[in-house]
Amino acid sequence: MCDDIEAEFEGGKVKRTMNLCRKGRAHYDSLSIDRLTPAVGGSEVRGEEAVTAAGELLAGAECPLLLGFGRSTLEAQKLGIELAKKLGSVIDDPTSRQGLIMERILKGEVPTCTFDDVRNYADVSIYWGDDPSSSHPRHLSRFSYFPRGEKRQRGYEEDREAIVIDVRRSPTATIAADGFFQVSPGGDAAFAEALLAALGGKIPKVEDKKRMLNLATKLRKAKFGAIFTGPGLADAQDGDLGWFFSLVARLNEFTRFSVIPSLPDYNTRGLHQSLFDVAGAVSPVSFEDGIASGPKFGVTGLLESFDAVLVVGSDPVANLPAPLARKLARIPMVAVGTHRNLTTDAASVTVPTAMAGLEAGGSALRSDGVRVDLEAQVKSDRPTDLQIVEMLMEVV
Amino acid sequence: MAETEELLVVTYRGIFQEVEEALGIYSDSYREESAVLFLDGSDALGRKIEAGRPILLETSSGKVVVAAKISEEPHPGIAFMPRSPWSASLLPAEVGEGGLLQLKRFRARASPAGEAVTTIEEIGERIRVF
Repeated sequence: MCDDIEAEFEGGKVKRTMNLCRKGRAHYDSLSIDRLTPAVGGSEVRGEEAVTAAGELLAGAECPLLLGFGRSTLEAQKLGIELAKKLGSVIDDPTSRQGLIMERILKGEVPTCTFDDVRNYADVSIYWGDDPSSSHPRHLSRFSYFPRGEKRQRGYEEDREAIVIDVRRSPTATIAADGFFQVSPGGDAAFAEALLAALGGKIPKVEDKKRMLNLATKLRKAKFGAIFTGPGLADAQDGDLGWFFSLVARLNEFTRFSVIPSLPDYNTRGLHQSLFDVAGAVSPVSFEDGIASGPKFGVTGLLESFDAVLVVGSDPVANLPAPLARKLARIPMVAVGTHRNLTTDAASVTVPTAMAGLEAGGSALRSDGVRVDLEAQVKSDRPTDLQIVEMLMEVV
Repeated sequence: MAETEELLVVTYRGIFQEVEEALGIYSDSYREESAVLFLDGSDALGRKIEAGRPILLETSSGKVVVAAKISEEPHPGIAFMPRSPWSASLLPAEVGEGGLLQLKRFRARASPAGEAVTTIEEIGERIRVF
């Protein structure tokens, strides 16, 4: 999703690049590694045959489930939602952990901002259960810590403060140095409670009271604060995040603090936005009987009742807890994607697609909601994910 | 810590693992970055686990063999593991009060293993066959 990348290709392979992080370079190099091939029942077939078999499998199902779409373009996501409506099915992205925070942001109940606002104005960045140095390697250098901005001309040396709240000393915590606050696993709510007490001028119930009071003073005096939430925060209290929203509201009584979730896939935000526009909620959303949403409609609640699964650009078999992955693998499954993975290995039908931003164009939303237009950089015979969903719409 | 006491395993994503994942999950490099557990020194000592040696991790969801690593900083009772098909093999399927699956942490028994690190092909086969 970085918009300043330059790359030269030779013979379909990467020859030279500029501005790519280590992770981005691997993404480019994967153009020629483990690419998915069209197959039905484990036998390789022509692409059109795989799409037809996929459509027949879905059309014959009484209760299909659509999974993934976080690595699909906005156009494919929107059509995927139409496909879910047409099939009367559920659409879910169970490995995306920040749906609750995203939903509150989209409803306007939690303040947010763009990465450009952060670069220009933020003097305090809090990374909570978030390690962007690993997950989004250019986050700190382009936006949140190192760069000079309109009101932050002296960068991290004098103008910016990084606070990391995490269970381990991550690479981001190492950069924050004295700004690292270690919490015990599941201890995030207690930390927030102590911070709330300190913000209110009370003595916090923590071992190092002075340090917590200093943190509260720093946050109260901030001119523009940003909070980046990671999976460590979303999972901290089994999805009960009332304590986090209370803290954000309290901070905003002193100064502006905006929340930007660090999302796992390049267009997870796009999926959340597209679902929210249609259903007023983020995944899982059920179109079985009108529109309904909530965890009980997704993989965790209803897996036993689904009789077909369409996975698009995701690997739930590798990421879901093994008992659920085993159940999922027993359901007739269509896997649409760019590369081979454990889900495509377990699928009855596999349909390969081009890689968006490299072999195909489209658009996506960054995790701060800014739209990015993606352009193809190399030619590919593979169809786009949008074209596959269009073909499935015709078949079903 | 008693040898039989379960460890609280917390998962995370590391840059080198993410790079290897992008380059293909069936590679030896991806396994080397993913199939590891970072232990506290005293926890390893109490279980007779040596750095670099294979260890068996077991939960009610499944079991895998990964390579042991010893952390420089102390974190007794807690172990850290990259989030991957190896950690997913051990995750419980129950949802928390907020309705979310707990994908971040679980309790596991850890002991020295007499076998090699589980391959991703073995994990895939266990999922498809059982």
